[in-house]
Amino acid sequence: MESAITEKRRMVDNIAISYTGIFDTEILSVLAKEIEGTLSPDDKVNKKVFKIFIELAQNIAFYSLERETNAEGNDTGVGTMIIRNYSDHYVFSTGNKTTMENIIPVMEKCDNINSMSREKLREYRRLQRNMPAGEKGGGNIGLIQVALTASNPLEYSLIKCPDGAYFYIVSVRIDKE
Amino acid sequence: MEDIHIEGVHEAYFTPTVNFEVATGNCEIAGESYLEETSKFYSKLLDWIRKYTTTIKGPLNFDFKLSYFNTSSSKCLVDILDLLKKYQNDGGKVTVNWYYDDSEEELEEVEDFILETGLEINKIPME
Repeated sequence: MESAITEKRRMVDNIAISYTGIFDTEILSVLAKEIEGTLSPDDKVNKKVFKIFIELAQNIAFYSLERETNAEGNDTGVGTMIIRNYSDHYVFSTGNKTTMENIIPVMEKCDNINSMSREKLREYRRLQRNMPAGEKGGGNIGLIQVALTASNPLEYSLIKCPDGAYFYIVSVRIDKE
Repeated sequence: MEDIHIEGVHEAYFTPTVNFEVATGNCEIAGESYLEETSKFYSKLLDWIRKYTTTIKGPLNFDFKLSYFNTSSSKCLVDILDLLKKYQNDGGKVTVNWYYDDSEEELEEVEDFILETGLEINKIPME
């Protein structure tokens, strides 16, 4: 029990950046600046985290079940982003509300991506890139990119919300070089 | 037919710098590409290349100097490379230089563009 509390406290203590709310253009640009400029002293690591952020944040903006209208009147997804800082790596996580129906194919994609070697993953990206623009499943190439950029597997979990929806969390580890 | 000159912008979205010159066939896409309407932005560039390769039919020297592009932009970059490959197959003179940020991942990305399009691309590490 005590170790579980210690573990939770450590997770809170290690938070470098966290945000919950609407994922509209303005907010994304503020978060992007934080990541690009101040996260780590290593620009290469910042760029990796930034690239991952852009792809996953756009997925929330487009696909989150929870939606709000921003000041400009645009309908945008609501979600959560957390970056945790450990001694030799960062953990980047995003979370958003979804339905079981919508998230099963996404989790299958994560499993599929995690099962591939780097070579296979690059081949898969080439294939996805040649799919017509605007096709459903556009988030697919984003997840492939995240796995390639991080060079680590995609970890996901699903929590049932009291209102019957599900909260989907995807996390990836980014090693400090 | 007119040149294209677009000044790069780094705000909420990132617009790349674009310089396409009719007289010389020298074309450059530089900076960062992360756009609100990616297809719309690139369709203008694709139209320019189509027009140049069917009416002017001169040489094309392409310099890609992108320090960042998101996955939506990468789809459009492949579309450009496909057009250049097609022009080359039809007898057009095409040179492509790709300046990449010096990392293994970005070098892989250029290599994948080569595999994907069959186009010869000179890989040059960015300063």
